[in-house]
Amino acid sequence: MAALAGLPEMGPARLRVLLASLGAAAAWKAVSSGRLPPEVSEVIGPRVESVSTTWVEAAHRRPPGVVMDDLIEAGVVVAGRGAALYPPALTDDPEPPEVLFSIGRPVVQNHGPAVAIVGTRRCTRYGTEVAVELGRGLAEAGVVVVSGLASGIDAASHSGVLAVDGGSPPVAVVATGLDVVYPARNRSLWHRVAEAGQILSEAPLGVGPARWRFPARNRIIAALADVLVVVESHLEGGSMYTVAAALERDRPVMVVPGSIRSPASEGTNRLLADGAAPVCGLADVLCALDLVGSGSVDPDKDMTRRPSGCDPADLDVLEALGWEPTTLDGLATRTRLAPVQLGSAVGRLQRAGLVAEEHGFLQRCAGQEVP
Amino acid sequence: MLASINSATLLGVSGHPVRVEVHVANGLPAFGVVGLPDTSCREARDRVRAALVSSGLSWPSRRITVNLAPTGVPKAGAVLDLAMAVGLLVACGELEPETVDGLAFLGELGLDGSIRPVAGALPLVDAVEVDAVVVAPENRLEASLVEARQVHAISDLRGLVRALRGDDEWPATPTRDEVDEPTEGPDLSDVRGQPIPRFALEVAATGGHHLLMIGPPGAGKSMLARRLPGLLPRLDGADALQVARIRSAAGQDLPPGGLVRRPPWRAPHHGASAAALVGGGSGTMRPGEMSLAHGGVLFLDELGEFSPKVLDTLRQPLEEGTVRVSRVAGSAEYPARVLMVAAMNPCPCGGSGAPGGCRCPESVRARYVRRVSGPLLDRFDLRVDVQRPDPGELLDGNPGEASASVAERVESARKRARERGVRVNADLSPSDLEDAAVLEPAAVRLLEAALHAGRLSARGLHRVRAVALTISDLMDGDGRLGPDLVDTALSLRIDPFSPVGPSVR
Repeated sequence: MAALAGLPEMGPARLRVLLASLGAAAAWKAVSSGRLPPEVSEVIGPRVESVSTTWVEAAHRRPPGVVMDDLIEAGVVVAGRGAALYPPALTDDPEPPEVLFSIGRPVVQNHGPAVAIVGTRRCTRYGTEVAVELGRGLAEAGVVVVSGLASGIDAASHSGVLAVDGGSPPVAVVATGLDVVYPARNRSLWHRVAEAGQILSEAPLGVGPARWRFPARNRIIAALADVLVVVESHLEGGSMYTVAAALERDRPVMVVPGSIRSPASEGTNRLLADGAAPVCGLADVLCALDLVGSGSVDPDKDMTRRPSGCDPADLDVLEALGWEPTTLDGLATRTRLAPVQLGSAVGRLQRAGLVAEEHGFLQRCAGQEVP
Repeated sequence: MLASINSATLLGVSGHPVRVEVHVANGLPAFGVVGLPDTSCREARDRVRAALVSSGLSWPSRRITVNLAPTGVPKAGAVLDLAMAVGLLVACGELEPETVDGLAFLGELGLDGSIRPVAGALPLVDAVEVDAVVVAPENRLEASLVEARQVHAISDLRGLVRALRGDDEWPATPTRDEVDEPTEGPDLSDVRGQPIPRFALEVAATGGHHLLMIGPPGAGKSMLARRLPGLLPRLDGADALQVARIRSAAGQDLPPGGLVRRPPWRAPHHGASAAALVGGGSGTMRPGEMSLAHGGVLFLDELGEFSPKVLDTLRQPLEEGTVRVSRVAGSAEYPARVLMVAAMNPCPCGGSGAPGGCRCPESVRARYVRRVSGPLLDRFDLRVDVQRPDPGELLDGNPGEASASVAERVESARKRARERGVRVNADLSPSDLEDAAVLEPAAVRLLEAALHAGRLSARGLHRVRAVALTISDLMDGDGRLGPDLVDTALSLRIDPFSPVGPSVR
C-alpha cells in the first residue's frame, strides 16, 4: 500500500478508488501490469494512458520491497485505513486518507481532547505570542495540540507545547514527505516535535511541497481535532481551508480576535462576524472542551497589569506604542520625544522583553519570552 | 620643416601633456598621424585640411607626418586638432616658430575653420607645461579656473593666425568673478512630520554615514533624499575645483561661477550599467555617476531593482573613495567620495512592510531582498523605515525645520570630526574610534548583548560606534558614549531582511 501511495501522479482520490475496487495486493498487480479496472480509469479521466504508463514504469523501478526498506530505514510507520495504528478520529471521515505515514510516538491512536491551532505564516508578534500562550496552556492542561509545522502561527503553537515539561505531546500534520523538512527554517523545531510527539503525513517519502497538498493536509488537521482555533489569518489564507474542513466535519471553530487594522486579522475577524466563537483566553478553549473546573487549569493571565521593572517614563512610551506594529518614526510622532530619548527608551524596553523589533516595526510584547 | 606644439589629452579626469610634432617633407602628398590616436583623433586629418583651406591658408601638397608624443599614451577626441593645424602652419613657414613659444593649443576644428570647445578643458589646461593656452571661447570659463595659466579665447583659425602674427590684439579676457550658484535645492521645511527620517538625514550629513530608507511607495523617501545636499556644507576650494574638473571631463556645463560650490546630487536610474555607475566604457573612458557625485550625494532609488552585479561594483569605490577602471587601452582613476543614500520598498507588493501586512509570499519577498547583498547592506550605517507621514502633521500647516538651521548644526558638528583629523566620523578607523569614542561600561555591556544576539557583526559594531559618536557631536557631547547614544544608533539600524515572522527555534 505504501508503494502504491508512492507512485507519481497518485493522489488520495485515485488511491481510494484503487483500494476500494481491488484491495492493496491486487491493485499493485493491476498498476504494475498496466491493466487498470474501469472505475479507476474513469477517476483518472482522459489522461489515463499516460498515467498508466508512468505507473508501470515507476512500479518496476521501485518494487514494494525497496519502498518498505526505505520506510523502515527512515523509522516511518505506515498505517492503512482500518489498521491498528490508524487514527480513530479519521476512520469515519468523509475523505479519509487511505494511508498515513508517521514518525515519533503513536500519539493520535489514544489521546484525550485535541485542539488544532492554525494560522497565517505571515503573522504579527501578537499572533505569535497568543499561539505560544495557547500552545503552552493547552499542553499544561493535558490537551493534545495539532498543527501544521509551517512557519508563523503553526511553529509558535508547537514551540508553546514544547516549552511545557511533561505536558501533552505535540502532533504535527505536514504536507511533504516525512524526510523533506519544509520550510527548511523549521528544521530544529521539526526534530523536536518528532522527538516529543508525532509527525504525520499523507505524502510518501521524498515528496516535496506541492501546492495541492497543503489544503489536503489541512483537512487532516481539522479532522484530528475536537476544536479548531484560528489565531491569525488573512482573508484568503490557507487557514480558511482548515476552517471549511472543520465545519464540514462539525468541529467547532474558535477564533482569536485581532485589530481591525491588522491585515493578518482580516480573515479571523471575518470569521467572528460570521459567528465563530471568540477566544479571549485559554479558558474559552478549555470551556469549549468541557475542561473548565477540572482543577488542572490556570486562570487567565491579567493582561492589564503594568509591567514592572522598568522606568515609568519608558512605560509612557510603551503605552504610546499600543498593541499594533508601529515604526520608530510613528512612535516619535506620537510621543514627541527627541530621537535620542526615544531611541534609548526603546532600547531599554527591548532589553526588558517588552518590545520586539521586526523590519523596523516595533511591537509590544506581553512581557513573556517567545521560546 | 619641423614644428612642435604644446597640447594635452584627457586620461580619466586628469589631463596629460602632449607634444604635437609636425614634419613636412618632400615626397608623395600624404597626411599621416601616429602616436596612438583613436578614431576621432585620426580623423583630424580631414578636419585640419578643410579648416586651413576654408580659412584662406595654404595647404602644402607634400608629405606630412604628425607625431603625438609621448607615443605610449592613448589620445582620444578632437582636442589636438588645433595644435595640429598650428603645427602645420609653423612647419610650412606660415607662422614663425617664435610666435607659438610658451603657448599651448586646445580645441576642435570645424570644417569652416571655427574653433570648437572640448570636454575637460579644466584638467587639460591644468596639464599643459606652458603658461598660456589658447582655447575656444566656450571653454574660457573652465580654463580660467586654473589660476596659473593665461587664457586666450579665440573663435576661429583666421583670427588665431592674425593674433599670432601680431596683426591683431588677442581678444580681451574678462575677469572671472565668483558668481554664487543661483538655484538652491529644495528645502527640508517642505517635509512635514517624519522626525526619525529627518534625524537620520542630519546624522548622515554630519557623519558621512550612508543611509538606506525603506518604506512603501509615496512615503516621501525621494523627497527626503533630495534635501540631503542642502544639509551638506558648501564645497571648499580644493573640492570645488575637483568637482568642476570631473564635470568638465564628463563634458558637462559648469555653473556660471565656474567652481562647483554646491555638493552634487546624482540619481542614476535603476537600469544603469556598471560602467555608467562607476565609470569606464570602451574607447574613451568617462567618469561614472559615482564620480559625478564626488563630494555630494549619490541617490539610488529603488535599490532592489538595480542589478545585483552592478550594485556590487559599488563596494570597492565606496570603501576607497576612488574608482579604478582598468581596460586594455589603459587605466584611469576617478575620485568617487560620495554620501550614498538609497531607497527601497519593503517588498515587491508595495505594502507598508508591517508584520502581517504584506501580500507577497515569503519566497517572493526573500528573492526581492536578496538582490541587495549582505556586504552592500553592511555599508549602510543608517537604515530607517519611512512610512507615510501622519495625516495630522500634513494638515497642521506648521512647516518643518528649515535646511539652513539644520545645516548649521551639521557644520558645527563636523568641526569636531576635523579636530580628530578626519573629514567626517565615517572615515574614522576602528583604532581611531577607540580613542575618540569612549564607551561607558553600560554601553559596552549593551553592545556585547547585541553582538551575542547576532544583531551586530564585528564590523557593524564599529559603525554603530561611529554613528553614536556623530549623534554625540550633534548634541554637543564630549565623545563619551553612554547607553542612550548607543541605543539610538542601534535604533537607526534596522535589519530589513530578517525572515518574516518572529524566529522560532
